[in-house]
Amino acid sequence: MQRGPYNTISTTDIRFFDSLLGPNRLITDPDECESYNIDFPSTVRGASRCVLKPKSTEEVSAILKYCNTRRLAVVPQSGNTGLVGGSNPVFDEIVISMKSMNKILDTNELAGVLTCEAGCVLENLENHLTTVGLMMPLDLGAKGSCLIGGCVSTNAGGLRLLRYGNLHGNILGVEAVKANGDVVDALNTLKKNNTGYHLKHLFIGSEGTLGIVTKVVIQCPPLPKAVHLAFLGLASFDKVLKTYHLAKRELGEILSSCEMMDRLSIDVSINNLDMKNPLTSYENGHEFYMLIETSGSHLAHDEEKLSSFVEKAMNNDIIEDGTLTNETAKINNIWGLRERISEGVLRDGYVFKYDISLPFTSFYKVVEVLRDRLRDPRIIRISGYGHLGDGNIHVQVSIPEYYVDVAAQLEPFIFEYVSQCQGSISAEHGIGFKKTKYLHMSKTSSEIAMMYDLKKLMDPNGILNPYKVLMPVTTELQS
Amino acid sequence: MEDYKFLFKVVLVGNAGVGKTCLVRRFTQGLFPPGQGATIGVDFMIKTVEVENEKVKLQIWDTAGQERFRSITQSYYRSAHALILVYDISCQPTFDCLPDWLREIEEYASNKVLRILVGNKIDREDREIPTHVGEDFAQRHGMYFLETSAKEAENVERLFMEIAAELMEVSENILFKSILLLW
Ligand SMILES: Cc1cc2nc3c(=O)[nH]c(=O)nc-3n(C[C@H](O)[C@H](O)[C@H](O)COP(=O)(O)OP(=O)(O)OC[C@H]3O[C@@H](n4cnc5c(N)ncnc54)[C@H](O)[C@@H]3O)c2cc1C
Ligand SMILES: Nc1nc2c(ncn2[C@@H]2O[C@H](COP(=O)(O)OP(=O)(O)O)[C@@H](O)[C@H]2O)c(=O)[nH]1
Ligand SMILES: [Mg+2]
Repeated sequence: MQRGPYNTISTTDIRFFDSLLGPNRLITDPDECESYNIDFPSTVRGASRCVLKPKSTEEVSAILKYCNTRRLAVVPQSGNTGLVGGSNPVFDEIVISMKSMNKILDTNELAGVLTCEAGCVLENLENHLTTVGLMMPLDLGAKGSCLIGGCVSTNAGGLRLLRYGNLHGNILGVEAVKANGDVVDALNTLKKNNTGYHLKHLFIGSEGTLGIVTKVVIQCPPLPKAVHLAFLGLASFDKVLKTYHLAKRELGEILSSCEMMDRLSIDVSINNLDMKNPLTSYENGHEFYMLIETSGSHLAHDEEKLSSFVEKAMNNDIIEDGTLTNETAKINNIWGLRERISEGVLRDGYVFKYDISLPFTSFYKVVEVLRDRLRDPRIIRISGYGHLGDGNIHVQVSIPEYYVDVAAQLEPFIFEYVSQCQGSISAEHGIGFKKTKYLHMSKTSSEIAMMYDLKKLMDPNGILNPYKVLMPVTTELQS
Repeated sequence: MEDYKFLFKVVLVGNAGVGKTCLVRRFTQGLFPPGQGATIGVDFMIKTVEVENEKVKLQIWDTAGQERFRSITQSYYRSAHALILVYDISCQPTFDCLPDWLREIEEYASNKVLRILVGNKIDREDREIPTHVGEDFAQRHGMYFLETSAKEAENVERLFMEIAAELMEVSENILFKSILLLW
């Protein structure tokens, strides 16, 4: 990878940023820059010497306007929990950290509409909404660190997508700053508004390559009165599918999550993180686990549906055992087993992570195919878990440290395999830096051509998050 | 699918710590777990046994005692064929709570449900509830009675096997009666 045609940051540039933001919101100390240069799983590392922390849309606008004229490349960063290296500089791009834009602007309880700045932490928004009987339409393991603007920019899926749909539906409006500093105010708060182009979509899932999201309007469903969780042990993936099928039929409108984990995935939480498996009736555990959550408005009804579902599943021999609860502390404990897998697996060493969509027929086969292909004693685990209800599996391959030859056995093989099965090589994490060269495996050439057109239109100098999503186009520095 | 002729749902209730989970694990796995966390929610599992050459599948629901004033209650009682109400023979308060449990059972369970009172931990030296006191209580409330030790595997197998046999007989009787009625 070659550095793009950008200027390097000068003392004049630093002086400009200093006068704009003041010394507290400008970081140039290399040690302090370090955490912004490295991604959450420590798989990529940039060399930025400049981190900016704007507090307002006006400041973001001023920064971009300046960088665009000066041809300085930037990388927007929110919680830095992204898993495809999208939020870190590749070379010396300026990091624009959104952390200081964390104000909640408006909460419309009746309409269920929240307006806030892009730098609010997902969990803080969740806690805020709880006080008015609402909830966020998305939830994910990184909620304590990821920011809503980061989620919007990656079109994050997560644990509630099955029930509430994705952010293209739930984000009603955005405010974003274009590469040249122009502010696009698309802060629509209406549920229905078919007037002209729906520009918000350009900023949802475009990973900071078309603009910087500064504010968002979110459609928030009412907080369910009753939440139940069933954690199940199963003997085969075939039974996992049968259970999912049954859950859809029996739990229908109250089903809010349907997650699966294989044995090696849950081993991460149990062995690497010392958590307890709540299922004890099989000494050696189970081959598969499922987590089924319901959210509804009537405790007794929901409970009855869920226990009758469990009874049927047991009577049909599709589950081996399980546990059922509606106590918040216990629900959180069980969710922890699932949510902490991606953190816990890092203790193995280096982790190759693939976030793919596959049709149900090949959903788990990909893990088996990899196990077959990589019979390498250095490999600690090849496992799969994920959002079964959304056809989305996370495959992780862990080894003590990075080995080039193992990487070569995995890639591009896995992407080709997924592409062959009509799957998506990135279901919810995005393309970022790591998957750029595989974009064509899930997008047609006509789509990619139009993506370039849009990129040129929105960011002619290519200063916004270069090397991400699309391969760089401009190679020469124009003056 | 494995074939079986009978399928019954058995639910264990009683105060936390009386040994419900140990009884279930002794029966389903043949072991006495060395220290384990309290039951998280309602645990459910399957155990197939054989009674008079017939396969009987028992669906066992082990509840978390500390939750008894909480909400998960109705649905798992409702479709139960047998309810095992457990107390600890070395702990008077667990016996004193039995009327509360019975009230809950009356309210939620079907009135045809088979009810068994179990005094557990008879291996312990510090007994507080004499056998006849438990027996009396059971008799007064129309329940079967058994004393067990999950630790020493006393009467545990017997407890579940007798339940299976009894339920089998009841359901065959019903079958028989309904055939008679058809005549
Ligand atoms: C434990 C864990 C669990 C996860 N679970 C899920 C999951 O279930 N589903 C899921 O989809 N993802 C999941 N992720 C991935 C990640 O959390 C999401 O992609 C999240 O949305 C990223 O948010 P962030 O604030 O950390 O953004 P960052 O990682 O900082 O940024 C992500 C991308 O968006 C760009 N960006 C950030 N902010 C802006 C902005 N304001 N304007 C324009 N561009 C911006 C960045 O340049 C980068 O390309 C998980 C990650 C972890 C660590
Ligand atoms: N001595 C003795 N202790 C027992 C027996 N059964 C259970 N225990 C102990 O009682 C405690 C609670 O047991 P547990 O099965 O978790 O109770 P539950 O809350 O009713 O499920 C544990 O410390 C067990 O070791 C028994 O038969 N004898
Ligand atoms: Mg217990």
